[in-house]
Amino acid sequence: MRIKGFAILAAATLLLLLATGCWNRQELNELGIVVAMGIDRDGDRFRVSVQVVQPGEVAAKSGGQSLRSPVAMYEASGRTIFEALRKMTTVSPRKIYASHLRVVVIGEALARQGIGTALDFLQRDHQVRSDFYLMVAKETTASSILNVLTPMERIPANDLYASNATAEKAWAPIFGITLGKFVTDLGSDGKQPVITGIGLNGDAEEGSNTRNVERIRPAAELQFSGMAVFRKDKLVGWLNEEESKSYNFILGNVRSTLENQSCPNGGELALEIIRTKANVKGHVRRGEPQVEIRLRVEENVGEIQCRIDLNKTAVVDELERRSEDRLREAMSKTIRKMQTEYQLDIFGFGQAIHRADPAAWRRLKRDWDRNFADMQVKLDVKTVIDRVGTINQSFLSKLEE
Amino acid sequence: MGNDGKISARQFLVLLFLYTIGTTILVIPSGLATVARQDAWIGALAGVLIGLGVAALYRTLWGKYPNLSFAGICERVLGKVVGKAVTLAFVFYAFIGSTTVLYYVGNFFTTQIMPETPIQFINGLFAVIVVMGVRMGAEALARSAEIILPWFIGLFFVLILSLSPDLKIEQFQPVMEARPNEIIGAALSFAGTASLPLVFLFMLFPRVQMADQARKGMLIVHVAGGLCVFLVTLFSIGVLGADVTSRNMFPSYELAKKINIGNFFQRIEVIMAGLWFVSTYYKTSLYFYGFATGVAEMLNLKDYKSLTWPMGILMVLYSLVVYPNVVYMQHWDATVYIPYILVMGAVVPLLLLTAGIIRSGLPDGRE
Repeated sequence: MRIKGFAILAAATLLLLLATGCWNRQELNELGIVVAMGIDRDGDRFRVSVQVVQPGEVAAKSGGQSLRSPVAMYEASGRTIFEALRKMTTVSPRKIYASHLRVVVIGEALARQGIGTALDFLQRDHQVRSDFYLMVAKETTASSILNVLTPMERIPANDLYASNATAEKAWAPIFGITLGKFVTDLGSDGKQPVITGIGLNGDAEEGSNTRNVERIRPAAELQFSGMAVFRKDKLVGWLNEEESKSYNFILGNVRSTLENQSCPNGGELALEIIRTKANVKGHVRRGEPQVEIRLRVEENVGEIQCRIDLNKTAVVDELERRSEDRLREAMSKTIRKMQTEYQLDIFGFGQAIHRADPAAWRRLKRDWDRNFADMQVKLDVKTVIDRVGTINQSFLSKLEE
Repeated sequence: MGNDGKISARQFLVLLFLYTIGTTILVIPSGLATVARQDAWIGALAGVLIGLGVAALYRTLWGKYPNLSFAGICERVLGKVVGKAVTLAFVFYAFIGSTTVLYYVGNFFTTQIMPETPIQFINGLFAVIVVMGVRMGAEALARSAEIILPWFIGLFFVLILSLSPDLKIEQFQPVMEARPNEIIGAALSFAGTASLPLVFLFMLFPRVQMADQARKGMLIVHVAGGLCVFLVTLFSIGVLGADVTSRNMFPSYELAKKINIGNFFQRIEVIMAGLWFVSTYYKTSLYFYGFATGVAEMLNLKDYKSLTWPMGILMVLYSLVVYPNVVYMQHWDATVYIPYILVMGAVVPLLLLTAGIIRSGLPDGRE
C-alpha cells in the first residue's frame, strides 16, 4: 500500500515537470510590438528603424492623455535585416515582435539600388504576415517618415495605414500595395511592380516632438504622393498624380474619385466617379501584341462652377463625351510615357498577352520591354452620368445675368 | 491477430476520407504548383482520377481476400518465405511513412507556430496520442474519427466560403499551359500522397463489418477526399497565385492567413490548422497501425499491442533523423518518394492480384 502511494506521488511529481509551461510562451509585457518598419541604406548595410508601441500610452485611460510619445523608435544597422532587428535588443528592453506590422517604408535611396534583398526576410520570418502596406519614402529616408507624430491616430503607423486605406477608396491616384502584391508582380514576367509613395511636408525636426500633435496644424505632415515605378526591384521613376490616376484606372483599382473638367463654355466642373470597371484584353495579331482596355465609369455631377443648362439631356451627353475624352487622353498619355520614356510594362499588358496566347508569349517575353514599347493599345472608354446631386440648375446661372 | 474490435462500414469510410486528406492538404499544393504552375488544379484533378484507379485495384484485391490482411495475402499468394519478405518491405515502408508524417507535424509547428520549441517534444507529444489510439485498437480510432468528422467538415467550409470572394480568375489563365508530362508528374505526386498510401488500409480491411457496403462506398469517399484537396489547391492558385503557392512551404496555411471578413473575422489560421492536425493524426495512426499489426503478424504474435510503446519510441527517434533537414525533405519527396510508393502501392498489389488470379481464378469474394 505504501509503495503504491509512493509511486503515485512520484508520478505526480514527475508530471509537475511537464506543467511548467511551454518554450515559446510570449508574455505581453516582454514584447515590443512593432507597427512600422523603415529600411534605409547605410553604406553597404541596411539601416532599419522600427516604431514600437508604448503600451502604457495607447491604453485607454481616464484623466486625459499624457504628454509622452505613444510610440518609441529604435534604429540599428546590419548587413541583413534580421541582424539589425536583433541588434535592437542592445537599445530596446523588449524583443521585437513583428506580427502586428502595419506598414513598411523603404527609403528612396535604397529603393533605387534595389529592394529585393530587403524583402526576403519579411516573407521568410514566421511572425510577419504579408498584409501590411509597402511605401517608398519620396525624396527622403524611411527613418524620417517614421519619425513623425500624427494627430487623429495616436500611433503614426496606424495613421499611415488608415490614410492609405481611405485614400485608396476615395482618391484615384493612391492605391495600397501589400508585400504579397508586390512580390507577385516581381515574380511575374509580364508586369513590373509599383509602390505607393509617401512624402514628408514641413519641419521634420519638429515632427518627432509631441508638440507636433499639440498644435491644430501639425508642423510636419505625412502625405501620399504618386506611385514609384520599379524595374524588377529597382526604383526607376515616379508617376505624378495624373499618371498614377491613369495607372489605377487601367488596373481597375479605382473605387471612387473625382475628375475635374472644363465646361463647354469656360469654367470648371467636378464629376464624382462612383464606380469603375476595367478590363484589359490582350491578343496577338500577325505576331504583333495588342491590348484593348475597356473602361466603364459611372459618375455623378459633383460641383459646377460655370453656366451650363443641366435640364437638357444633350448637355449631359456632352459632359459624358468630354469626360470620356479626358480619361482616354490621360490614360494614353501615361501609357505612351511608359512606352517611350521607360519601356516598362507596369500595367500587366504582358500578363494579358500571356493569358490570351501562351505560345506567342513565349516568343514575345524574351524582349518584352521593346515589344511593350512598340505595341498598340486600344482604349474603349465609356462613362455614364447618373445623377446631378441635390440641385439641378446651379444658382450661378442666376448670378451672372 | 489480436482482437481489437470491429469497425462498421461507415466508420471505415470516415477513416478513409480523413486518411486521403491527411498531410496531402498541407504539403501537396506547393509541389503541384512547382511542377504545373497555374495548372496545378488540373494536376490535382488528374491525380484524383489516378486515385480512382488505385482505389479500384485495392477494392478488387480486398474483394478477393476479404478476411486477410496484407501480410496474410502475401503469405497466401506468394508462399511463406517470399510472402514474409514482401511483408517485411511493406512493414518497413509503414514505419518510414509514420516517421515522415511525424516529421511533417514537427516541421509545421517549428516553422510556423513555435520555432523555439524543440521538435523532439512536439513529435513526442503527437506520438503519444498516436500510440494511445493504436493501442486502443481500430474500433476506438474509428469511433473518434466519427466524432471529429463534423468539426473537420465545418472548418473546411469556413475556409472555402470565407475565401471564395478572393478568388481571381486571372490567376488561372492561361489554362492548360503546362505540358502533358508536367500534368502527369503533378498527378503522380498527388496520387502518391493521397491514394497510394491507402495500401496500408489492408491491415484494417479484415476488421470491417459488412465489407460489401464499405467496398461500395470506397471509391466515392476516396474521390470526395481527393476533391477536398483539389479545392484547397484550386484556392491556393486562385487566391495566392501560382508563384506564391510554389514558393511557400505550407500554402494552405498561408491561405488561411488570408481570411479576412470585414477586418473582424481574421487571424484565425491557427484554428484552421486544426484541419491538418486532425487529418494528419489519422494518417499517422494508420501508418503506425499498419506497422505494428504488420510486424505482429509477420512474427506470428498473438497481439500487436505489446509492441506499440517500444515501436512508438522508435518512431519518435526515427522521425528526428529521417530527414536531416527541410531541403532534404523536399528533395526526397520530389524524387525518391514517388517511385518508392509506386512500387509499394501499385506494383506489389498488382502483382499479388495477378498471382492470386493465376493461382485460384477470378475473385469471387470468397475463399
